[in-house]
Amino acid sequence: MRQPSKVLACVDQSDYASHVTDYAAWAACRLKAPLELLHVIDRHPEVAADIDRSGALGVDAQESLLERLSQEEGERSKVIREQGRVFLNALKARCDDQDELRTDTRQRYGQLLSTLKEQESSVALYVLGRRGQSASHTKRDLGRHVEAICRQIRRPIMTVTDDFKAPKSILVAYDGGRMTRRGIELLASNPAMRDLSVHVIMSGKPTADSNRHLEWAQQRLLGAGFTVDSAFVPGDPEQAVTRAITEREADLLIMGAYSHSPWRSLVLGSRTNDLLRASQVPTITLHL
Amino acid sequence: MDTIRQEWFSNVRNDVLAGLVVALALIPEAIAFSIIAGVDPKVGLYASFSIAVIIAFTGGRPGMISAATGAMALLMVTLVKDHGLQYLFAATVLTGVLQIIAGWVRLGELMRFVSRSVVTGFVNALAILIFMAQLPELTNVTWEVYAMTAAGLAIIYGLPRLTTVVPSPLVTIVVLTIIAILLDLDIRTVGDMGDLPDSLPHFFMPDVPITWETLQIIFPYSATLMVVGLLESLMTATIVDDLTDTMSNKNRECVGQGVANVATGFMGGMAGCAMIGQSVINVKSGGRGRLSTLVAGLLLLIMVVFAGDWVSQIPMAALVAVMIMVSIGTFNWESVRNLKTHPKSSSMVMVSTVAVTVATHDLAQGVLTGVLLSGFFFAHKVGRILSVTSAACDEGRARRYTVYGQVFFASADRFTKVFDYQEVIDKVYIDVSRAHFWDITAVSALDKIIMKFGRDGTDVEVIGLNEASATLVDKFAIHDKDGAADLLLDH
Repeated sequence: MRQPSKVLACVDQSDYASHVTDYAAWAACRLKAPLELLHVIDRHPEVAADIDRSGALGVDAQESLLERLSQEEGERSKVIREQGRVFLNALKARCDDQDELRTDTRQRYGQLLSTLKEQESSVALYVLGRRGQSASHTKRDLGRHVEAICRQIRRPIMTVTDDFKAPKSILVAYDGGRMTRRGIELLASNPAMRDLSVHVIMSGKPTADSNRHLEWAQQRLLGAGFTVDSAFVPGDPEQAVTRAITEREADLLIMGAYSHSPWRSLVLGSRTNDLLRASQVPTITLHL
Repeated sequence: MDTIRQEWFSNVRNDVLAGLVVALALIPEAIAFSIIAGVDPKVGLYASFSIAVIIAFTGGRPGMISAATGAMALLMVTLVKDHGLQYLFAATVLTGVLQIIAGWVRLGELMRFVSRSVVTGFVNALAILIFMAQLPELTNVTWEVYAMTAAGLAIIYGLPRLTTVVPSPLVTIVVLTIIAILLDLDIRTVGDMGDLPDSLPHFFMPDVPITWETLQIIFPYSATLMVVGLLESLMTATIVDDLTDTMSNKNRECVGQGVANVATGFMGGMAGCAMIGQSVINVKSGGRGRLSTLVAGLLLLIMVVFAGDWVSQIPMAALVAVMIMVSIGTFNWESVRNLKTHPKSSSMVMVSTVAVTVATHDLAQGVLTGVLLSGFFFAHKVGRILSVTSAACDEGRARRYTVYGQVFFASADRFTKVFDYQEVIDKVYIDVSRAHFWDITAVSALDKIIMKFGRDGTDVEVIGLNEASATLVDKFAIHDKDGAADLLLDH
């Protein structure tokens, strides 16, 4: 049996988890998809937990060490599992007041990226916090997993930053490329989104095709019943898009992700990363 | 990139400290094993340095400690005695080459024929041999040596009850060395056993003629060293796998051991392999990554080269105490308690492995004995899964025998004996469709039965031979497909 496409919210025990859950619940309601709250327990067998530096080997040294290690690990896993269950249930309770929403919770062992990748085929939208537990005490403005996930997962990913505010207007950072054109199509084919106003913004150097592209996007969305305005904002895309978000009071950004190779972004920096850092609104990144 | 970070830098602090603990424990062991092999302590110390450092990069099991070992040292005694040190270096290089080849042809997979009992026997034999190697230091000596050794053991096992912050073997060595110097005791020290390293090792060609004759001398040694080295390394890898609940790459480990030995031979070291005791100490001390092995190797050499004068004053009694600890820690005491409860055949395999190894000082022969015995016992057990029922039919003119179970060399004899050749009868049906013929012995046993009945003028009709002999084919055409299990169990 093929699983229905679901909205997968990746949560951990940070404050961001509740924002992630709220946005995921909103998206799931809009997409009429079931919501799954996923907590990935990342085990680190390559890191030792407790240490005995006596260097002495007693009778049955190996057996007793094996017994001790597996017992300790077992107890630790139990604690983590129980904590996880409790906070997942708390998050699930947040979604329960929405009637049409089916919510499931799940804990899995493994590494975050590979766990998410495995489920790719049954997920319509991933939702994750731009920063998580591991980033809450550092100054980094982009969690260390986010870029890796956005690069590897070939599904729309919504990354959220702050408190939940039901989005009313969407800004599409449009470049006329295949990726964002599909974003427009996706939006247009989703009648549940029709009450949102859409701003389609192109930026960078104006080319001959720019207006044609914008025209197409606008017509496509108008045809689907959306309220649309489109504009060409010349200048650096990062600044243009951030400014447009503030000016138009958009509260959801849709853009293409990482069209260039990791090597290029190593040298030139990544536009996607810059935008993720700069924009304060939740963002859906699209992937080819 | 992620793997490199995970294998090297995910546990830095613990790896460095564990490496330090291991390095301190490696020094006495490397010296002790050099003495077993009959070479200068520097040969074992250089070997431990070079093997540990190289295997940190090339090995397939992060966190495992490899160095000069007792199992290998025991195998080179006669080579060193008869032909000298240079031949040992050449043999070490050849051992490494053979191990690399073994890794390429995935010889590591043969490890599945080494049963649990053989592994236990290997470990126990190793512990006994390490203990026996200490006996020369404890015979015909003054009472001071006994007192020192006893004091050493008391510190080793007593100190961890008070604190686990400092390695107790290190404290033992330091305390006993200070006592020996202060009291000016006339007992043997490490310095009496031969040269210690005075510089960093360098590459050189072993000084042997590159001839067919040389190869004939070193090849038998290298072949045994290869087998024992890989056996102990793969066993240790499995132990570390279990302890840390992670996976290792066994074939990479074989190649890695080979590379380490080749380089070690060129650096004036003796062949080595993974060490069970040290790897357990490493994991216990918090070592998990490759860094722990690297640090152990580097610190070992730094300490020995720069504190060589102190190392040479360590009394042998202190080393003996440490080695007794290693042998006690390596021995599987549970296996002695299990002798009563485990099946007799398993216990016999274990005990034979130990006995042959201790008698020959050659772990390869011990393991071979164990593997052969477990094969025999298995064949014997499976051979008992054979039953034949018979019933008269066709109003007493014929008899139908139905054969169930496994027919092969171990059960063929019993198979031929269950038929009643004296019965006066016209025809015999033998239904073998529910039996399996595993080898040529089974087929010829059937031929023999048909012939015997034929002599009495009884016709024989065999039913279902095709099904029964499907298992004869070496490459299972049917039996590795889906549903093979049903076929084997029911048909």
